[in-house]
Amino acid sequence: MTVRVTAAGCIELIGTCPSADAEALLQHLFADPAATVDWRECRGAHTAVVQVLMAVKPKLLGPPANAGLRDWVAPAITFS
Amino acid sequence: MNEFLQQFVIESREIADAASDGLLALEHSPRDAERLDEVFRAFHTLKGGAAIVEFPVMESAMHAAEEVLTEAREGRQPLTSAHIGQCLSHLDRVSAWLDSIERSGELPRDGGKPPDQLIVQAGELPAAPWVADIVKTQGAVAARALNAVRLVPATDSLYHGEDPLARMTSLPGLLALELSAREPWAAPDTLDPFRCNLILTALSAAAAAQLHVHLQGHSGDCEVVAVTTGGVSDAGPLPTLVLTVIEAQQALLGAGSPQSFSGRVGSAGAVAANALRSCGLAQPSEQISRATEQSLLALSIQPLSEALALLLTEEPPAEMAAAPDHGRAPELGARTFRVDAEQVDVLVRLAGELTVVNNAIGHLAKLARAGDPSLADLLKDRHGTLEHLVDELRRSVLRMRVRPLRTVLQRFPRLVREMSANLGKSVDLVIEGDQTEADKTIVEMLFEPLLHLVRNAIDHGVESASERIAAGKTPAACLRIAAQRRADQVLIEVSDDGAGIDVSRVRAVAVTRGLIAQEQVLTLTEPEALDLIFAPGFSTAARVTEISGRGVGMDAVRRAVEKAGGHVSVASAAGLGTAVKLSLPFSVMMTHVMTVEAGGQMFGLPLEAIIETTRVPQAAISRVGAAPVVVLRNRALPVIDLASALGAEPSADDEGATLVVATANGECGAFQVDRIVERLDLILKPLEGLLTGTPGIMGTTLLGDGRVLLVLDIAEMLQ
Repeated sequence: MTVRVTAAGCIELIGTCPSADAEALLQHLFADPAATVDWRECRGAHTAVVQVLMAVKPKLLGPPANAGLRDWVAPAITFS
Repeated sequence: MNEFLQQFVIESREIADAASDGLLALEHSPRDAERLDEVFRAFHTLKGGAAIVEFPVMESAMHAAEEVLTEAREGRQPLTSAHIGQCLSHLDRVSAWLDSIERSGELPRDGGKPPDQLIVQAGELPAAPWVADIVKTQGAVAARALNAVRLVPATDSLYHGEDPLARMTSLPGLLALELSAREPWAAPDTLDPFRCNLILTALSAAAAAQLHVHLQGHSGDCEVVAVTTGGVSDAGPLPTLVLTVIEAQQALLGAGSPQSFSGRVGSAGAVAANALRSCGLAQPSEQISRATEQSLLALSIQPLSEALALLLTEEPPAEMAAAPDHGRAPELGARTFRVDAEQVDVLVRLAGELTVVNNAIGHLAKLARAGDPSLADLLKDRHGTLEHLVDELRRSVLRMRVRPLRTVLQRFPRLVREMSANLGKSVDLVIEGDQTEADKTIVEMLFEPLLHLVRNAIDHGVESASERIAAGKTPAACLRIAAQRRADQVLIEVSDDGAGIDVSRVRAVAVTRGLIAQEQVLTLTEPEALDLIFAPGFSTAARVTEISGRGVGMDAVRRAVEKAGGHVSVASAAGLGTAVKLSLPFSVMMTHVMTVEAGGQMFGLPLEAIIETTRVPQAAISRVGAAPVVVLRNRALPVIDLASALGAEPSADDEGATLVVATANGECGAFQVDRIVERLDLILKPLEGLLTGTPGIMGTTLLGDGRVLLVLDIAEMLQ
């Protein structure tokens, strides 16, 4: 499992998140729309996962471990 | 340029033209496999040629086009309009490269570098809006980009296991990537994370071919477009001489009285534009001409003065080099063209015979020194032979200059496609008689007037599809360019089946623009009123559009056509369409003139404009106000004293006046001259360099005694 919720209610994305993680991430965010997503350990994310982040625009704790996510995806979530 | 490169340019041009024709035909019948093969082979040959001359950038561009065509050839993907557009823009680049090679005699400066270091030269292609957007937001990064990529994955692509983001982040040469939503995002409770709602745009430093390979097989729409970064220009600082000329014009503009305004602006603009053109800077020159027109219209020196100031700053301003301009008349005058070997043989034979006559004349000169009495007869005999040979030489050279109109007309399918797409109108272009031939000069001058007529037809003549359907017409308009040869004339008609010209509006506009008085306009017949659209300063377009609102009206068309010795007329029927007819001489080489003497100088008057010559007593010339008038055959004609009109001493003949009555554009006048000399057939040289466009003068030629003969432009003299 690369999506997990910490005791403090923070959603962590760890490693490379495959498409299946999108559904799990969406469920967590739906349950707690104010939750912060910590993607500092995230090394990659499938398009579906990124779509969830772009649609819900949660508070992000970064920067992510992957340069592509940091440079191209993070601005799309923050500014779009 | 070495011969090898020269051959490459000639051949590539021909192949690129054929490929362009083929692509346009494919647009109508995308399933025509034979045509598709032909186009593919053309690109393949271009690629091969580029490889031989070691021009890797062109090679990879041609490869990219080949890739697109291969997909279609192997039936993996239907050939869409977007694909054709892509291939056409590759051909545009080829054409720009070939121009550059012809100009400089070597491969484009960036040609030898690997593609990923190349910045595509500015001003080649009109970029799609999304390209402009990403170039703008990415700023400095964009300067390194060679291509822009846009991927709009199919909405179900994620269900099929695709990962568009991964595909784009691993793009070769990736410089920047932007993600955006195609539609607003759904609320979290209804969001389907597997329904792809993204648009991914990227900038890459890799060649288009590589990008196509990388993106191959991805679902949805994918576009790769060459990036044109506005700031880069290959125009260096202007030559010092030209700078000096421009500075002088700038100074001239600022000085002088308000009365001389139009003269000052007109001449400063013309001189600066000619100076730029004379050193091959066609685009800045055009820019100056446009600014001159703006200045004249706005009655302010500001537009021209600003344009000149821009030129004087060391770096040529970006927009000068970058403005993508669809309709810009490209340098048409091909410097090389192929000639039938038989025609060359004829010339060789003639050269031989002329040498014989030349030797014979040398012999005659010796006889003359010896005072031989039979000299006159011999001279007359040799002169006869020489005359015959020169005549034959002239005819065969003329024959060599003849080109089919196809060379100009073939550019229109492409332009019409772009213009109608820009204006959201659907237009079918029909070209008839493109095999009609005319002298090279005529063929080359035709492009600009025709372009203007076509623009006008699409922009103002053709209605929108809904208006057409309401009027009971087919949704697609028909635009026809038909050419035919009739005796010594070439007739070209540009007609459309659009809304036609509203004559009452033409009358009203002509009055508001001050071209004609209210009471006068009502006396005009319908054709006469229609003819007002050719008057300088007339434009019926209520709005100025990018396509036709460039400050050049139909008067520019008439001017260009008449300059080449032709006529233009318009016919229109409300609701049915408009037809503009151009009639041009087959050749402009020979001009028949009457030479006259005025103020001690010789001038030529074109014979076609002369009605009669007569001599009247001085008393017959009366004065109406300040203007001298003569009554001939019950008609009052203005008398123009040629000597004083041209700034020489007026003639002092107390007994009578020799008059040459001439007509042009329906205006008639009598030119007073000192003496009528003779009739001459001559080859007119157009004015060159700084004198280009001097009003009142059509061209020059050398007389037998070495003097220069100025041939006057009757139409301009009578204005």
